[in-house]
Amino acid sequence: MNWNCALTEERLSDYLEGALAPAEREACAVHAAECAGCAEILSRVGELVGQMHALEPLLEPAFLSRRITRGTLGARAERHELAGIGGWLNLIWQPRFAMGIAMVAATFVILAHTAGLRLSSLKPSGLNPFNVAREANRQAHLTYARGEKFVNDLRVVYEIRAVLAAPPPAPSGQQNQAAPAPSGAPPSAPDTQERSSRELQRDAITRKATNNLHWAMLDPAFDKFALLPANRRPL
Amino acid sequence: MRRHTRRVYNLCYRFTGNAASAEDLSQEVFLRVYRTIGSYEPNYGSFATWLTSVTRNLLVDHYRRTRCDRLTDSIDDAPQAAEVHSADRTPHQKAEAMELSAQVQAGLAKLSPELREAVILRDLQGMEYAEIRKVLQVPEGTVKSRINRGRIELARILQEMGVRAD
Ligand SMILES: [Zn+2]
Repeated sequence: MNWNCALTEERLSDYLEGALAPAEREACAVHAAECAGCAEILSRVGELVGQMHALEPLLEPAFLSRRITRGTLGARAERHELAGIGGWLNLIWQPRFAMGIAMVAATFVILAHTAGLRLSSLKPSGLNPFNVAREANRQAHLTYARGEKFVNDLRVVYEIRAVLAAPPPAPSGQQNQAAPAPSGAPPSAPDTQERSSRELQRDAITRKATNNLHWAMLDPAFDKFALLPANRRPL
Repeated sequence: MRRHTRRVYNLCYRFTGNAASAEDLSQEVFLRVYRTIGSYEPNYGSFATWLTSVTRNLLVDHYRRTRCDRLTDSIDDAPQAAEVHSADRTPHQKAEAMELSAQVQAGLAKLSPELREAVILRDLQGMEYAEIRKVLQVPEGTVKSRINRGRIELARILQEMGVRAD
C-alpha cells in the first residue's frame, strides 16, 4: 500500500497506540525508513506522549480540600468528613441505606453470574483444566474490578447526597427555649412535622437513587461495562 | 474524595496554567457538583467522567471570561508533583521530571484551547476516547483528530522552545 507524509501525520496517534492494521503499520514503517521528516516526527511525538504519560499528577495545596468542604457544605460536612469511614459505615447501617445496599448486592450476584464462565464460548482448548481455571480467575478479577469501581462511584454519590439530606444543625439555644406556640396546638407539633417531611424527602432521594441504579443495571440495554476503562472491559 | 479533588485540580491547573485560578475553579466545580448531584445518572458513565464534564464546562466559561488576560505562573510558582509512583526516583530524576512538567505546561499554554483540553484529558488525565467524547460532546472521530493534532502541535512547540529530544 502507498504511504505518504500526510498520512503519517493523520495516523500518527493510531500508529503510536497500535491501532493501525498490520499492512498500514508496515507501509508506514517502510516510508519512515526512507523519509527523515516522518521518522523524526514519529520519534518526537512518540517520546513526548510517553513522557506525558509518565508525569506525576500535581499536588493540590493542602488547604484546598478543607476550603472546598467549607465552601460547599459548611460545618456539618466537616463533622461528616472527620467521621471518615466510620461515618460511611454508620450511614449504611441505617435501614434506608441497608435496604439500598442489599439491592445493589443482589445486583452484583446477578452480574457475577452473567459475567461468569460463558460455557457457550468455550473452545475445545478451553476445556483444558488450566485454561478453565485461568478463565474463571480472569472473570473473577473483572467482576471484582467492576464492582470495586462501581461501589466507589456509588459511595461518593451517596456521601454527597447523605450530607446534603442531613438536617442542618439547629441554631444554638433554640431547641431548649422554644417560644410558646401562639395557638392551642401542642408545642412540639411543628417541629415533628417539619422533621418528618425532611425525613420523607431524604428517603425519597435515596430510594430514587437506588432504584434508578438497580433498574438501570438490570436493563439489558444498560452497558454494565461502561463503568470500566476500555482496556479493562471484557471482550 | 481527595482523589477526585486532585483530578479536578490537575485538570484546572494544566488548562489555565495558574495555581490561584486552579484553586478557585476547583472549589467552583465542587459547588456545582453538590448543587447538581441529583442530575447524575449512573447510565452516563462513571462519576469521574461526570465530574470531568462539570469541570470542563466551568473551564470553558472561565476561558471565555479571561481569554484576554495572559497570566501564567512562573516555573517557581508551579505546584509540586505528587510522587505517586516515583517515590524511589533519584533527586536528579525528580528534577528532570519537574523540568519536563514545566516545559509541557509552557507548551500547553501555546496550544489552542480546543487542542489543549483534548491532549490534557487523554495524555495527562489518562481518559479513554469514549469518555472524552462524553465530556467534550463531539463525535469520537473529532476527539481522535484533536488529540492527534494537539500532540503533533505540542511536539512542534516544544521543539521551537528548544526542548531537545533525547
Ligand atoms: Zn514522509
